[in-house]
Amino acid sequence: MSEIDDLVAKIVQQIGGTEAADQTTATPTSTATQTQHAALSKQDYPLYSKHPELVHSPSGKALNDITLDNVLNDDIKANDLRITPDTLRMQGEVANDAGRDAVQRNFQRASELTSIPDDRLLEMYNALRPYRSTKAELLAISAELKDKYHAPVNAGWFAEAADYYESRKKLKGDN
Amino acid sequence: MKRQKRFEELEKRPIHLDGFVKEWPEEGFVAMMGPNDPKPSIKIENGKVTEMDSKPAADFDLIDLYIAKYGIKLENAEKVMAMDSTKIANMLCDPNVSRKDIIDITTAMTPAKAEEVISKLNFAEMIMATQKMRPRRTPATQCHVTNIRDNPVQIAADAADAALRGFPEQETTTAVARYAPLNAISIMVGAQTGRPGVITQCSVEEAEELSLGMRGFTGYAETISVYGTDKVFTDGDDTPWSKGFLASCYASRGLKMRFTSGSGSEVMMGYTEGKSMLYLESRCIFITKASGVQGLQNGGVSCIGIPGSVPSGIRSVLGENLLCMMLDLECASANDQAFSHSDMRRTERLLGQFIAGTDYISSGYSSTPNYDNTFAGSNTDGLDYDDYYVMERDLAINGGIHPVDEQTIIKARNKAARALQAVFEDLGLPKITDEEVEAATYANTSKDMPERNMVEDMKAAQDLMDRGITGVDIVKALFNHGFKDVAQAVLDLQKQKVCGDFLQTSAIFDSKWHVISAVNDANDYQGPGTGYRLEEDTEEWERIKNLPFAIDPQNMQL
Repeated sequence: MSEIDDLVAKIVQQIGGTEAADQTTATPTSTATQTQHAALSKQDYPLYSKHPELVHSPSGKALNDITLDNVLNDDIKANDLRITPDTLRMQGEVANDAGRDAVQRNFQRASELTSIPDDRLLEMYNALRPYRSTKAELLAISAELKDKYHAPVNAGWFAEAADYYESRKKLKGDN
Repeated sequence: MKRQKRFEELEKRPIHLDGFVKEWPEEGFVAMMGPNDPKPSIKIENGKVTEMDSKPAADFDLIDLYIAKYGIKLENAEKVMAMDSTKIANMLCDPNVSRKDIIDITTAMTPAKAEEVISKLNFAEMIMATQKMRPRRTPATQCHVTNIRDNPVQIAADAADAALRGFPEQETTTAVARYAPLNAISIMVGAQTGRPGVITQCSVEEAEELSLGMRGFTGYAETISVYGTDKVFTDGDDTPWSKGFLASCYASRGLKMRFTSGSGSEVMMGYTEGKSMLYLESRCIFITKASGVQGLQNGGVSCIGIPGSVPSGIRSVLGENLLCMMLDLECASANDQAFSHSDMRRTERLLGQFIAGTDYISSGYSSTPNYDNTFAGSNTDGLDYDDYYVMERDLAINGGIHPVDEQTIIKARNKAARALQAVFEDLGLPKITDEEVEAATYANTSKDMPERNMVEDMKAAQDLMDRGITGVDIVKALFNHGFKDVAQAVLDLQKQKVCGDFLQTSAIFDSKWHVISAVNDANDYQGPGTGYRLEEDTEEWERIKNLPFAIDPQNMQL
């Protein structure tokens, strides 16, 4: 019997049976240091070849200083191999000029998140998943984003989610 | 009944092993324009959406709220919603109407309106429209690199092999979840050995996948799933807000990412709200757009058996790929799941995306025989390579890969296996023996590989994470053992994350790390004589023309 036949049989059984369907869960398979300059355009892309001088590592190293020799003598460390708020802002300008303002907004949110440590960022993401947090917990993260990480857009994102999770029943205890 | 002999023979054909269902709209078994799909509508008051697709704002679920706030360009919305859907469909396949003019219209629609537009197109018109709406001018394809024993040496060799054949993106996953860091490192080292510039991912649980990227073990991610009904989205353990935040987390680490969705997932997970597959998928595509994510993997994907079971389902799946491109999103167009027992039907499944060309025709093509594919098998696999090359050559189509001679493949496989051996030694991971290197060089499947101590490997994988090993340690390990060129390629990948060019829509790299995306390689198709032409891409056309098993008249003994 094929997968489809199995599935149809399962649905028929569920419709005929109890409210078991509600129990079914399936897991899916699967503040920038602003430098003043005119907004970049499509013509400035790619930055790698056209504007390497504008791109720096978080510690201020030039893109062209990221060499094998500098990695081997520890002048370049793992922490240097990260994108900065400034570079995300420039890529956002390029995206916007190419007609993709939604992508630019994502890069704006991202630029606020660069300074948050990996572990804390993963915790924040997990807190935003359904049924994980109370409204107060989401608002506390919103305050942390705003005050500790100077991330007003993301603070607004969490506050907005807190409101909607309350009215649409996605807070801790709602399941 | 006395059986008619031809009917009896027909029933033995492989197609009879596939599953087919008559339409059943209440449970979502309808491809598009189901009887319960909402009528397209929008009402905007004081810059806010107060009604969308016949639903008042008070009744909006999280998906509606998210799309209404972030997913639709409201300035044009009322005008576009009043346009005739057949007229918009006509513009889509009219080569004289530019891609940009279409996008101004499509990004101001609601999900139900977009569904209606797609429903006006027949399969051939969808191919015409896809050819124009694909964001990147140059088509490409993606592969899977896995094996059922998570053998790291084989992953490295297979990744190098696939890189040479032309896949610019490669995806692995695990048979056993705890192997994830080792698989991620193995595919990265192997791919960079085969051809610098290939980017690699390791598909695992959302938070863990991001963690692998943060450490420099992957370059991009794709299996960030979104769904078309609130209940299924929640069962998938996310909300639009958490997924949107996750998207920004990836960009904040310089990692490329796209979402994944696909017809049939809501049927499979049991909550369709009685809506058609294309309507629910349309919502997923708008969620992706709303999140500011550059792209989406869609087209049935792992649930392809569901749309494949209903009338017009495979047409609808091309329609959902087209809808993704219409919203100016990178499209990785599935063809990545074994779903038919019939070779004829497998080809049919591939046809639309293959002829039109998409950003990634498959996502992915199994680079190994399906025996070793831990995504439960793909529509095309490592034993279909020669058939696929001939299809490209016969039709003069760039399907994303090309033939490579045996000697070159053997050399690259061996080097990748040795490079990984060096990395394992340097990082104190369980030894890779010379016997394993030799086996991986010549292996077809993991049956050809010596056994590894999997318990030791898994312990070492955890230890590697605990020790805080990063991409920099891998660069050093490669250099210390004489693999300077591979060390440089792994470093160049990390360098691209600092620069961010590949965060733009539809980005891939060539072997010199030149980015090729919808920004600097924007699709400019406007009819014959325009857009990507294989004959003008002379190097690639030569590779495809020069099929190793074609007779060369120059060498014939007459």
